[in-house]
Amino acid sequence: MENYENIKVNFDSFIQSLKSNADDIEFRKKSFNHFLTNGFPKAKDEEWKYSPLTKDLNKFLSVEFGKSTEQNFPEELKENYDHYPIIFIDGNLQLENVQENGLKIVKNEKFLKSVKKEGTNPVLNFTNAFADEGYLIEVEPNTIISKPIVVYNFYSKNFSSNFVSAKNFILINESSEITIFEKNIYNSDQEYLITSNTEVFLAKNSKLKKYNVNEENKHSTIFNFTKANLDEGSELEHFTFSKNINSCRDETIVNLNGKNSFASVSGIQSLLDNNNHEIKLIINHNEEFTESSQFIKSALHDSSTAAFQGKIFVDSQAQKTDGYQLSRALLLSDKARFFSKPELEIYADDVKCSHGSSSGSIDNESIFYLRSRGIDETDAKEMMIKGFLAEVIDKLKDDRFKKIFFSKLGHDSENV
Amino acid sequence: MIEIKNLKASVDEKEILKGLNLSIGKGEVHAIMGPNGSGKSTLSYALSGKEGYNVSGEIKFNKKNLLELNTEERAQEGVFLALQYPTEIPGVFTKNFLRTSLNSIRKANGESELNAIEFLKILKEKSTELKIDDEMLARPLNVGFSGGEKKRNEILQMALLEPSFIIMDETDSGLDIDALKVVSNGVNSLRDPDRSFLIITHYQRLLNYIKPDFVHVLSDGKIVKTGDWKLALDLEKEGYGQFIN
Repeated sequence: MENYENIKVNFDSFIQSLKSNADDIEFRKKSFNHFLTNGFPKAKDEEWKYSPLTKDLNKFLSVEFGKSTEQNFPEELKENYDHYPIIFIDGNLQLENVQENGLKIVKNEKFLKSVKKEGTNPVLNFTNAFADEGYLIEVEPNTIISKPIVVYNFYSKNFSSNFVSAKNFILINESSEITIFEKNIYNSDQEYLITSNTEVFLAKNSKLKKYNVNEENKHSTIFNFTKANLDEGSELEHFTFSKNINSCRDETIVNLNGKNSFASVSGIQSLLDNNNHEIKLIINHNEEFTESSQFIKSALHDSSTAAFQGKIFVDSQAQKTDGYQLSRALLLSDKARFFSKPELEIYADDVKCSHGSSSGSIDNESIFYLRSRGIDETDAKEMMIKGFLAEVIDKLKDDRFKKIFFSKLGHDSENV
Repeated sequence: MIEIKNLKASVDEKEILKGLNLSIGKGEVHAIMGPNGSGKSTLSYALSGKEGYNVSGEIKFNKKNLLELNTEERAQEGVFLALQYPTEIPGVFTKNFLRTSLNSIRKANGESELNAIEFLKILKEKSTELKIDDEMLARPLNVGFSGGEKKRNEILQMALLEPSFIIMDETDSGLDIDALKVVSNGVNSLRDPDRSFLIITHYQRLLNYIKPDFVHVLSDGKIVKTGDWKLALDLEKEGYGQFIN
């Protein structure tokens, strides 16, 4: 058993420094104690079998919060279209509150709206115990926000501690729509732990497009947790672009609680060196006439490892469910590894659920076809890999972000 | 211009082409007909340099021995293989593929690469002639294309890349009469005194639309008979039986 004495000390002094209410403190203590019962997850735990975090978390048996002298966010890193920015610098939220046209963006102060229930996920409990920053986004009913929100998680060269933890809250009220783009920018080469817990509530007939980019990180260990609750007729499109990421687990749980709600959770992971990335998804169909789609593609170079665990759960009353899951991986080296664990748990009898998983190398017939048109073998392979990943992006509903992700991939889309 | 001498090809130690000789002059259209298993597809792959075949002999083209070049180098030299079943490649967009292909060939030949505007102008011109609309070009390569659309896309590639030696492998398979006409018209419009064709086919039907200068019968890995286009009619009537041992 690892020694958690240092973390206990860290937690005690953290709690003392917090100027929070009794509820919040109580919940943090509960979460922390829950975390302590088993500590960080181990590879032998079924839920964490393929998780890169199990080998990395023990580097963080003593944590130190977002100490940084960095105050400025480099302007050139800002997106070049009109948007509402939310900027975290080394974990510290720098926000000009927005309260206009039915949109509210503020600090997630004392996590007043957050669900205060400890779970069985040790890293999530850890996050709930320690999270000290976060944003709160709320859209009033019947409001369509056309300007996207961009969340910048910026890690500067001056970042000198080893832990950042955030807890965010997104509430989209009835018949409202918004797009949120979350961008992680790593300028620090430090070895650090980043955890986040984002709670999403979609009221009746609301729509959220949530896009995430996580790329070029050499040393950190990352845990992103998102839980989305969907009411009747609401729609969630959740997409994560992961490229060259050292060690990360992206975990998403979607509860389809209302009739005719729909969730699409998709992602691509392009990894190299010893990168290790895991995607864990659970979609709970809790009501009838709900629909979901999971679509994950992985391109694995060198000695990289990726895992996909995707579950479709269908409650006994969730008749007429339509659940879809597809995971495909390209193994681009003999040493690359891919683990896939699709799960279906179905208690209703009138449902349509399908899943597929494949992993393999680049199709030789396709390479021959491209080469026979004068394209060099290296370029042909590059085209195939990009094309393979681009298929996931091509299904996104937002044209602006489709273009952004295509260009991140270096892939020209509809044009030439 | 194309001189094939004693061409042998084997797969997994099974010899399929057993010393094939063929000479195709500039601007000529040659048809190769033969029964199943005679080596027709292997010939097209041996000419275009597909990996997995053990090939010997000589293919003289533009003073080079094609057997010393890899697949893309042959294409850059001007060899084009129209596939029987063009491969579907999800995620690779047709337009982007066409431009990459054209620019790769231009670059290899010391020509400047075309920018998007220059390319789109040429593409528009060529695709209109073949009744290929923008929607089709915006789709991933061959994905969801009908049999006819796939073949038209092949013809479009020929028109764009302007190869000097075109090999057509069973281009007529899976085409209805209307599609066959569009494809044949496309090919006929590309006939040129500087361009040679080798049309590989099982049936004589295609040759009603693309009239060859010479017809060869391929059997058991060798050319066993050569004649003019009337030979194709005889074959249609009498079958390949007489050539099979």
